[in-house]
Amino acid sequence: MKQNPKSLIALATSALALPGIAEADAPPTQSSLLYKVSNYQEDDLSRSETLGSDFDRYDIDVHQFQLVTPLGRNMSLQIDGNYEALSGASPWFTSSDTDGAPQVNLSGASGISDHRSELSVAANYHLSNGRIGGNIGYSEEDDYRAVYLGINGEREFNNQLTTIAFGLSHSSDDIFPTDAELFNRVDDESKNSNSSFVSLSQIINPVSSFQIALSVTEQSGFLSDPYKLRDQRPDNKTQLALSNSYRHYFVNSNAAWHINYRYYHDDYGISSHTADMAWHQNFGSRFRLVPLLRYYSQSAADFFTNIDDFSNPLINSQSSDYRLSAFGAVSGSLSMVADMGAWNATLIAERYLADEKYSIHQVNQPSTALVKYFRVSLGIDFTF
Amino acid sequence: MTRWLKILGLLFLPVLLASCTEVRAWERGYLAKPEMTWRTDVLESALNEHIFFSKEASSGGNSAAGGGCGCN
Repeated sequence: MKQNPKSLIALATSALALPGIAEADAPPTQSSLLYKVSNYQEDDLSRSETLGSDFDRYDIDVHQFQLVTPLGRNMSLQIDGNYEALSGASPWFTSSDTDGAPQVNLSGASGISDHRSELSVAANYHLSNGRIGGNIGYSEEDDYRAVYLGINGEREFNNQLTTIAFGLSHSSDDIFPTDAELFNRVDDESKNSNSSFVSLSQIINPVSSFQIALSVTEQSGFLSDPYKLRDQRPDNKTQLALSNSYRHYFVNSNAAWHINYRYYHDDYGISSHTADMAWHQNFGSRFRLVPLLRYYSQSAADFFTNIDDFSNPLINSQSSDYRLSAFGAVSGSLSMVADMGAWNATLIAERYLADEKYSIHQVNQPSTALVKYFRVSLGIDFTF
Repeated sequence: MTRWLKILGLLFLPVLLASCTEVRAWERGYLAKPEMTWRTDVLESALNEHIFFSKEASSGGNSAAGGGCGCN
């Protein structure tokens, strides 16, 4: 079959944007500016789940910015900004009702209002068969501060069919709870996190690719929740995560299928499975619809209790944090993407439901206060 | 059951890699489409990772961790 030379050039040029492959040796030739605004709203608790009269949970507005711009022929600069404004209540302690069932007491909706601002800067140097980069970032809340930095890189092999990537990062965090003296909370604590990952990406054939990745994170220091009345966790934690991703393009349907799976384990005793699947359906060259389904299930931490035991000595680890309980979660989202050349707009709606009934792990102590939320986001990208 | 899933995964990987074919640069047009990248929407991925990090016990997988937060 005779190929049109122009289409060959177009295909070869477009190959420079391959997932995790030619991205490594192709510095951006244009600048791009991305902005996304989101509203995240948690469902209120029911009257049977809580002791007090506060049922409202978090309502958060999020603004994200990203600028990527070339610096000379081989370098690029990336600046990320993030601003969150939140209000609402979170679980304070748990006790039992007259039937012995767990109930949660919230911290008081009128009292919690916080902001989080984050800025990070990254630079990349692009080589003929890879990339090396570094980043530094700063995040601040009324009661929390984090400074982090990292290096990462990619190297291509095997005629650009295989890419190995790596990353190392360190974060140094300070925690200084509000009203520490009034509520007998710790007044200034710190924690450190060291994280690393390695991944292998492989092109399987002209329409499919696969990626496997392993990450290890070690945390040390104050890992408890200072706002909970009785929360004592071990001061060291090691987390392992193994993820797999697969992409397949269906030529006749003009659609891409994404499937991801992650296995996670930490030495608090928690294991989890996460699987998600998305169908990217194109309509012509300008519009795309993306339904996504996600499933998550985790086991409980060894020291989780659904009813706080205040007679337990403080040297014993104990927490009633619902995030350390055994539960499952299902979520779904629908994205609509409009590609207008230099402009690109994305509208996303997502619903998330957590429940112990959805767990495939054994649930010995079901937790109250598991989260259900609704999120809507609007993103705008501009290339110039 | 988890142990069997891990064993199945380890067995599956070499079979998958062995089935890879030589794909020349001009045959990579479909792979180069934006909807075929590992992260089609970087801000969406970052937001999702932040939310799940805040509401579930698990995190990590295909990137190194960033800074922490006081999210509770």
